[in-house]
Amino acid sequence: MTANVNDRCRAIATFRHVSITIMETIARWTPTTPEMEAKVMFGRHIWDFAQHADALGKRTFELRQPEHYTLRPADEYDSFLQETSRIQGTAERVSAIYDAVLPGLLERYRTYVKASDPILDQPSLVIIERIVRDLERQLSEAAALRRELNIAGEAPAFAARERSIANIVSQRM
Amino acid sequence: MTQIGYLKIDDVVLRDNPARDSCFRVVWQDTDMVEYSEMSDVGRREIVHRHMTNEITSLDIAADCLAAFPDAPWELRMELARQCWDESRHVQVLYRRLREMGGYKGEFPITVFEWSITCALDNLAGRLTTQNRTLEAGAMDVVGGLHRTMREAGDDRTADTLEGILADEVQHVRFANRWIKRLAQRDPRVLMKVASAVRFLAMVNEKFQNKEGETNVVGKALESAEARIPAVNVEDRRLAEFNDEEIHEILRQAGFRSLLSSEGTA
Repeated sequence: MTANVNDRCRAIATFRHVSITIMETIARWTPTTPEMEAKVMFGRHIWDFAQHADALGKRTFELRQPEHYTLRPADEYDSFLQETSRIQGTAERVSAIYDAVLPGLLERYRTYVKASDPILDQPSLVIIERIVRDLERQLSEAAALRRELNIAGEAPAFAARERSIANIVSQRM
Repeated sequence: MTQIGYLKIDDVVLRDNPARDSCFRVVWQDTDMVEYSEMSDVGRREIVHRHMTNEITSLDIAADCLAAFPDAPWELRMELARQCWDESRHVQVLYRRLREMGGYKGEFPITVFEWSITCALDNLAGRLTTQNRTLEAGAMDVVGGLHRTMREAGDDRTADTLEGILADEVQHVRFANRWIKRLAQRDPRVLMKVASAVRFLAMVNEKFQNKEGETNVVGKALESAEARIPAVNVEDRRLAEFNDEEIHEILRQAGFRSLLSSEGTA
């Protein structure tokens, strides 16, 4: 169980960093992605991740850190996200985020929820449950985009690499 | 496409084009656009197509600002992120309307001029000044009259679409007004960047503006820049927090052709 306040804050602050990184990645991709329909999907998801980061940032303030306290993830995961941001091509970008990064992130959020005290850490769980719903919707929207644009999915190697990273939460404080 | 570079036209450095579907033909000059004089079916379709692609450009600009300035205040980044969502919905709703009218993506030439100018600027205050506070505020004036024109032409559906979009645009202008003031209060040097952006926009406009007497591809006579200033949407500019002095200056430049408030802007 994520027992103490420091542990919870490290996790939340790391999730915030991840939300911002994904937001910035998709925002950077938008002008260089030709397909109008992909840009439109990115536009909504940019706002989703901004709201996630905002809610997580307000939570860190309740866990004895400043508002919007943010921690860079563990090195391996941080490198993985940076490599993702350099991907080119619409099909490759959509695969990387929606087949690898977000399914992996969903699992990590679910793991946090399972490990948390459902009463003591309920404010975190309310935020994360909303984030999980948004991520599930995003995966559905990406699948619809792929059908609309007739682009291939699946990035199995990338997804496997994401799964191989055991811990994303920074140990720094 | 990874990075978007710059291009130089004469002595002016602009940002190179953002990525577009291959069905779109990007042009630079108004003379290459297919803008009709009348509100015929094809004329109204071209208007909707043009606004749709302008909203794609606005989305690209907001997204680039968000990515390019990671050290901007968080609350300002939230506004830019929200603008991304708003602009994406504007693209969707205009595309829906375009298809209802029997139109299609790429039916007409498009421009990305606002991107070329705004994203050539290397600071966020300058970009907010150019895009949100000038170009989008100007769009409020255009759309403020256009939705009425559409309604008068019997096209209530397009009029309703444009009016809904206009309400969102008020917030895009308003947050820029607020944040430029806030940033300038924190650092007065921001005002130099604002002034520089204003001068840059004026210089580029003058260089690329069509001359009176020129015609476009479908034979529409193009007016000079001065003659094309739309009626000022005073109500929405006030909602967007332009103060009275600023509105009076804009009215003065427009020859005092103010938009009469015959409808609410809610």
